[in-house]
Amino acid sequence: MECLRTRVRFPPPPPFFYKGELIDKIMSRFIKIFATIAISLILVSTQGFPLKGAPAAAKTIPVIKVTVEDSSQASVVRISGSSNLAYNLKKSSDSLIITFRALNGLKLEKSPFTSQIIKSIDLAKSPEAYLLIIKTGSPDFSFTSSARKNPFELTLNFKLKNMGTARESQPAETVAKTSPSRNNESSSGASSPPAERVSQEVISGRPRPKGVKTIVIDPGHGGIEAGAKGNYGTLEKDVTLAVAKKLKERIEGELKYRVVMTRDSDVVVALDRRAAVANNNKADVFISIHANGSRRTNARGSETYFLSLNATDEEARRLAYFENNSGELENRLGEQDFDDLKLILWDMAQSIYIKQSSQLAEFVQNQLNQFLSTQNRGIKQAPFKVLAGVACPAILVEIAFITNPEEEKKLQSEDFQTQVAEAIYRGLSGYFDLYEKP
Amino acid sequence: MRNNKHKKKKLRIMLILLVILIVLILIFLFGNRKEKIKHEGRPAGTEQVAGRTAEIKMKPVTLFFLSESDGLLHAEERQIPESDLNGEARAVVEELIKGPQTGLMAVIPENTRLRQLFVTADGLAYVDLSRQVTEANFYGSSGEMAVVYSIVDSLTYNFKSIKKVSLLIEGNERETLGGHVDLSNPFVPDYSLIAR
Repeated sequence: MECLRTRVRFPPPPPFFYKGELIDKIMSRFIKIFATIAISLILVSTQGFPLKGAPAAAKTIPVIKVTVEDSSQASVVRISGSSNLAYNLKKSSDSLIITFRALNGLKLEKSPFTSQIIKSIDLAKSPEAYLLIIKTGSPDFSFTSSARKNPFELTLNFKLKNMGTARESQPAETVAKTSPSRNNESSSGASSPPAERVSQEVISGRPRPKGVKTIVIDPGHGGIEAGAKGNYGTLEKDVTLAVAKKLKERIEGELKYRVVMTRDSDVVVALDRRAAVANNNKADVFISIHANGSRRTNARGSETYFLSLNATDEEARRLAYFENNSGELENRLGEQDFDDLKLILWDMAQSIYIKQSSQLAEFVQNQLNQFLSTQNRGIKQAPFKVLAGVACPAILVEIAFITNPEEEKKLQSEDFQTQVAEAIYRGLSGYFDLYEKP
Repeated sequence: MRNNKHKKKKLRIMLILLVILIVLILIFLFGNRKEKIKHEGRPAGTEQVAGRTAEIKMKPVTLFFLSESDGLLHAEERQIPESDLNGEARAVVEELIKGPQTGLMAVIPENTRLRQLFVTADGLAYVDLSRQVTEANFYGSSGEMAVVYSIVDSLTYNFKSIKKVSLLIEGNERETLGGHVDLSNPFVPDYSLIAR
């Protein structure tokens, strides 16, 4: 105040200016203070108060950090993330694919590593998810996983099968026939030292002698998942198992085929497990057996399905690529192809085999028409879960309608079931003949 | 004397300005928030009022139900009240659940409720149904296909901005309704199941 007064007095300004200038000065000070406060307030309110920081933080892209450590017997991969992530583990050939459902994006931070099991770790993006692809040198690996929340950490323990004994990823499939010559084959591509091998391990993932085809039969439903139900109480799961067993019997009469069943008793088998059985056994064809159901009790007839894809633009482009590049039945995917394959979801494995699947469907449906007195409903496409993950030609046969009282009786009859098995068998051999002709 | 007067005046002016400043700060801190809430609440409120004062406008939609004779989906016209996209899409699914008014067959199992429906900006409609939709004796491939595509096709056919449909059960993703059709990916329409 003192200084203000002195300044006001010397030199004394003209009286008519006096008041204005004083107010001006005070005003200008306050305006300055006010302006800085106001501007800072505006800045704070537009950028969000620190209290409101939570939604802003959620927008940041989650990061996963990956480290690899080798011990003498195993490789440990640690995946840690800032936030909890939903994930899904799937083994595919020589890789483990971890699907993350991350909607806001995902970033990968990996520290450089050298490992005798893990060859590479990459992040790929599919339309609905992010895929972390951990590539090992050999398809003969097993892994165990353990996860922790808050903070998220997924620990994967990798072992090559001829190094250790853990076999957690092995499905509990039943193998009908094994070729004895298979035990003598050496593992190609496995960089680990040779060791004694348990015969069970040899069954899956090993190339078989040419000519022996593996047919995976999938009896639909099972256990508490009974499927459709007929008026007289017939359950779809019972019919499918009965027909599958008859088909297996029929096929096993021929030396050139071996049969693997996804279930041979009344148990629940998850749909992706059924596909895994086919893939782990390097199936040549996959046949899912079902009995149809509809709200219309007069719906009748037999039909054969192969997979339709909910093709988005991106998927359609990939499909076009594979349609142009997929070879004949014998021409399985090679090492280089896998680099392309890893860009597509495991769930889309079937997309590569659509052409062959449609041919197989045609052969089987033709035989059903010849052998059964049912109405021909033809070949159809549908997005069936059980077919989606199968990495070989795959079809789903709807024998007849269990919801139609007339057809329900047929489905119960042993004779009819035997005829169905015969028809499917003939369809199959017709399809294989097509590819075996010189 | 003159100085004293000015001193008092100065003080008074400063006090007034201080009060104004405090008031302004308070407005900034609290008024801002109120305004935001108002902004969020206002459009819905005004629309409702408009809807009530004006007569409820109806809009024709096409629903797809099952035909007893050929097993294909057949169209049935229906009037629903005009609303926003989510509201109209919800009405379409609710009408599908209610069932047909002509000689066609309902496809969705009885007692199924529509729990929630919303459409994302890029045209993916999430349809969340109650668990009753999974409880049916007729769930063979054909039965499941009819349920899925009556919903998917009815939504995409009536609303151009809906490109894909994802089905949820009790708010969760589920593999299938009854062991066949894959629900884990969004559906694009398949009009081949519709009678021509």
